[in-house]
Amino acid sequence: MSEETKVKYEKPIPLKTMDNTPYWDAADRHELALQKCETCNSYNHPPGPSCSNCGSVDVVWKNHGSDIQGTVYSYVVSYRPFLPGFQNDIPLVIAVIELTDLPEVKIMGNILHGNAENVTIGTAVKMVWEDVTEDRAVPQWKLA
Amino acid sequence: MNNIRNKYAIVGVGESKRSKNSGVTPLHLALDAARAAIADAGLEAKDIDGFMSYSEGDSCTPHQVATYLGVRPGVVKEIVGGGSSTELLIADAIGLIETGQAKTVLIYRAMNGRSGMRMGGGGWSTDLLQNAFDGGSFLIPYGAGSPGQWFGLFATRHMHLNGLTQEHLGHVCTSFYEHAQRNPNAFFHGKPLTLEDYMQTAHLSSPFTKHDFCLESDEANAIIVTSAERAKDGKSTPVKIMGMAARQTVSHAHYWKNLDEVASDYVAPELYKAAGISPEDIDVASIYDCFSWVVLRQLEAYGLAPKGEVGDFVAAGNLRLNGKLPTNTAGGMLSEGYTHGMNNVLEIVRQVRHEYAGTNRQVENCEIGICTGWAGPDIAGAMILSK
Repeated sequence: MSEETKVKYEKPIPLKTMDNTPYWDAADRHELALQKCETCNSYNHPPGPSCSNCGSVDVVWKNHGSDIQGTVYSYVVSYRPFLPGFQNDIPLVIAVIELTDLPEVKIMGNILHGNAENVTIGTAVKMVWEDVTEDRAVPQWKLA
Repeated sequence: MNNIRNKYAIVGVGESKRSKNSGVTPLHLALDAARAAIADAGLEAKDIDGFMSYSEGDSCTPHQVATYLGVRPGVVKEIVGGGSSTELLIADAIGLIETGQAKTVLIYRAMNGRSGMRMGGGGWSTDLLQNAFDGGSFLIPYGAGSPGQWFGLFATRHMHLNGLTQEHLGHVCTSFYEHAQRNPNAFFHGKPLTLEDYMQTAHLSSPFTKHDFCLESDEANAIIVTSAERAKDGKSTPVKIMGMAARQTVSHAHYWKNLDEVASDYVAPELYKAAGISPEDIDVASIYDCFSWVVLRQLEAYGLAPKGEVGDFVAAGNLRLNGKLPTNTAGGMLSEGYTHGMNNVLEIVRQVRHEYAGTNRQVENCEIGICTGWAGPDIAGAMILSK
C-alpha cells in the first residue's frame, strides 16, 4: 500500500496487557493463540491471570494457527456508532463466534463487509486478520 | 436467609424531582430523596443511624448525605454497583441491624443520569473503556461499547432458542408505557405507545429499538429499612421483607461462554425458599428493566411465566394492570425513570401498601410483590415483600 492511499485507522486498537499480550502478539502474526488451563483442561477466553473455570495458575498458551472456522453464536446489527471510527461501518454486525473445533470458546468480532441480511445464528464464518497499523492486526470474520 | 423472614421492613420511600437536566448536584438530589423518605416514614433524620448508597462513580457519599441532614451516623457504606445493588444493600442493612450495628438504615441512589455521567452516552476515551471492563480489549475494538449492543447479543441468542419475537419485546414496552400514562411523574406520561407504532420503529441495535432501552434521568430515590418490631412504632405502613437473595453470580458475562445461564436462575430458588412462598403466590412485580428483553428472561428465571411460554404470557396482556402479573406498574425504567433499579423498588412498596387505593393505578387485592435486580446476566438479586 502506497503512502498516498494509506488510510489512518480511527477505531480503537486492542490494548495489550500482561494477561492478553500473547493473544494479540499472535494476532499480529495472523495466528490465533488461546489460553488453556493445564489443571482442568478448559480454555479461557478472554484470557486472564489464572483459569476462570478452576482458579489454577497453571495456564499455558496454545497456538491454533491461521485457519480458524466458526459459526455465529449470537449477533447484533448496530445502526448507531457508539464508539469513534465506526461511523462508516453502519450497519455494523457485531457477532459472538463459536469456534468449530473448540465450541467452548466464543470470540467476539465483526462480520466484515456488511452482509447483515446474510447473518443469522449458525451462519458459518472464517477468521481473517485486518492489518490496522504497520505492526498490529485485529482478528475479524467473514462469511465462509 | 430463612431466619429473617418478616423480621425487617421497608418503612419509608421517597424521591427527588425527576428530570433530564436537574441543574443541581447528585448530593442535592440525594438529600431531597432522603428527606422525602424520612417524612414518608414519619421519622426524623436523627432516627437514621446507617447510610448506604451505590453508584458508578457518579454520585455523592453517604457521609455527605448524613452530614447535610445534620446526623452523625453509626455506619456509612458505599459500593460500586448498578442493578441488583438495592437488594444487596437491603440485605446488608438487615445484617447490620441483626448484629446490633445499626437500628434504622437509609439507602439511596442519586444520579444525574442524563445531564451528568450517562451510562449509554458517548464521549468516553476508548482506552479508558478497554481498561474499565474485564476483557474490554476484546469488545471495544469491535465497536461493542454500549450496553444496548451487549444486551442485544444476549437477547438474540435467547430469543432464537425460545421462539421469542420482536412483538414479544413490544408487548413488554407497550404494557409499561400504558402504566406510565397513569403516572404523572413518568417521563413518558402523555406519550402512549401502540404495538403498531413499536413495530414501525427502527432498530438501534437489533433486536432493540429506542423503546426497548431504559431512560436516562436525573433523579434520586431513597428507602428506609428497620426491624419489623421498631416499625410498629412508626407512622407509616411498613412493608415486610418476606425473603431475599442478595446478589448471586455466574462467571463474568464477558466470557460469553453460555448466554443461556443467568444469575437470576440461581437467585430464584433461594428467594422462594427464604420467603416460604411459590411464584403463583405473587400478585404484583417490579422486574429490572434496563432493556425490554431482560424482563422476558427474568419472568422465566423466577418461574413467573412457564419457560418456553414467556412470549405468549406477555402477548396475552399479563403484565398489564388487570393481567395475571401487573408488572412495573409505574412505567418501569423503560418509561417512568431510571435510578439503576431503585425506582422500581419504590413502586412495589407503594403497591403492596395499597397507597394508590381508590385510583386507577392500584393493583387490586395485591398482598405479595416481587422486586428483582439485574446487573447483567452475571449478577442478580431479588426480594419478596408483603404488607
